[in-house]
Amino acid sequence: MATIIEATFETVGCAELQTMPADVRDQLPFGVVGLDAAGITKVYNETEARMAGLNPKKVIGTSFFDAVAQCMNNFMVAQRFEDEPELDVIIPFVLTLRMRPTPVRLRLLASSSRPLRFILIER
Amino acid sequence: MTKALNEEEKLLEFLYAAPVGLVEIDASGTIAMINPYAMKHLLPLAGARDTGNLFAMLESCAPELRNLFDGFAAEHGTVCDGHRITVDLRRDQDGAEPKVLACTLVKLDADRAIACLSDITVQVAQERRLRQAEAWFSSLINDINDYAVGSITADGVVDAVNESWIRQSGYPREALISKTLADIFPLSEGNSDGKMAEQLRLAARDGWHLEEMWQDRNDGTRYWCQRLIAARLGSDGELAGYTLVLRDITRQTYDTDDLRRLLTQDHLTGAVNRSKFQQIFEREHRAWREHGAPLSLIMLDIDHFKRVNDMYGHATGDLVLRGFAETIAKAIRPTDVLARLGGEEFAVLLPAKGLSEASEIAERLRCLVADMRVETPQGDLAITVSLGCATALPNSDLLRSADEALYTAKRNGRDRVYTMGLSVAA
Repeated sequence: MATIIEATFETVGCAELQTMPADVRDQLPFGVVGLDAAGITKVYNETEARMAGLNPKKVIGTSFFDAVAQCMNNFMVAQRFEDEPELDVIIPFVLTLRMRPTPVRLRLLASSSRPLRFILIER
Repeated sequence: MTKALNEEEKLLEFLYAAPVGLVEIDASGTIAMINPYAMKHLLPLAGARDTGNLFAMLESCAPELRNLFDGFAAEHGTVCDGHRITVDLRRDQDGAEPKVLACTLVKLDADRAIACLSDITVQVAQERRLRQAEAWFSSLINDINDYAVGSITADGVVDAVNESWIRQSGYPREALISKTLADIFPLSEGNSDGKMAEQLRLAARDGWHLEEMWQDRNDGTRYWCQRLIAARLGSDGELAGYTLVLRDITRQTYDTDDLRRLLTQDHLTGAVNRSKFQQIFEREHRAWREHGAPLSLIMLDIDHFKRVNDMYGHATGDLVLRGFAETIAKAIRPTDVLARLGGEEFAVLLPAKGLSEASEIAERLRCLVADMRVETPQGDLAITVSLGCATALPNSDLLRSADEALYTAKRNGRDRVYTMGLSVAA
């Protein structure tokens, strides 16, 4: 367990995020969003739900780039997942959490051998 | 309490998903509230500028917005309604339409305003198409005897032409019938087989396609020709073939003064605005491709302009921009085009000038700016400018080359000219 809790924003991998128990993922200090190939939200952890002010149960199953994160629906984020099957980058970004401009760091993670892509959000 | 939370959650869901951008700002443009749609369009424009300020994020594409807002004296009311922001100066590599945003800005009180942003790229493209169609049909009506009509099969082979076509082109009927469009329109640049097939495909998709280009007559002379390809559908709705209409339009002598009079200006500096620059650039670039006369471009960026704004305020910054534009405008030919592309970024388009001439002009402009003094309430200010020069070359992107040259001039220490393709910077 200790090793999982030590998963950090900069080092945690796709596989680890996917196999991690949900309650552990919820306790991570950064937001975790997992999307399937069609962009449907499959993972939305408590940390992110709290920052955004949304109920994770209602976000799961929606099209992430349309319903929750239109701000990422451009070449800076969404397009990169389309273009790069293997992706692990950290980019500075500005989110609109609760409609406030909020500078964050995003880590975009994708691996062709894994079904889910992840976006990690660090405030 | 739970009910209130639930309500807030619903409100947030609504704002997160709204397909229109909403931004609330104070009098300086600092953002209080912004929804994701607005950020989606603004963040890519912000570059290194302050992402917490609406006017700063729009500075590169719509510097006039701040002036419009500052110049709006009333306590409250609509500052602008559907104001168009030209984001892209040209189509991207995939041929997507250049992006255009519309901005409505409403002042609520002395220190609070709300902006609404939407992406109107598709509507603008449709308008352009409608204008083309209108111009085309009105020209047909005004000049009904002067158009050539042919019938083309679905495979792109000519199966009938009218008398006017034979008169207009000087070719006998037998030189036209059974030929493919690529055979008939082989000579001018861009009329390769692939291009023709692409035009037929577009006509089949959209109903019609309109092009203008030089066309050769049988006697070796040439004329400026408008060509409309309209798809013909059979009773089953399937493509049956095309109707092709050619119109010989005497191309008027290029009257740049007229053109300049028609231009919409950046209202602060009097320079051509970004949107008009896009149109002129497209036109001049096309003329370059067709006639081969040189075309050069200088990109100019005032050095450390942000410091002027930060130290003396935007009003003084505006005086500097005006003085700068005036100095440049006086120093160039009437046929050259001075445009304000962004906050402190300008361009000078130089038709008929080659690279070394452009480089000399840039150096002259640099000296004029360095010698210029702008009278301001805080005293006379001196500024410098960095300039990047490039000339149109096949297989190179003129806008990008000039941008890169400007970037190099900045990196090399500012207050200098860098010329793309000349071994030594002037």
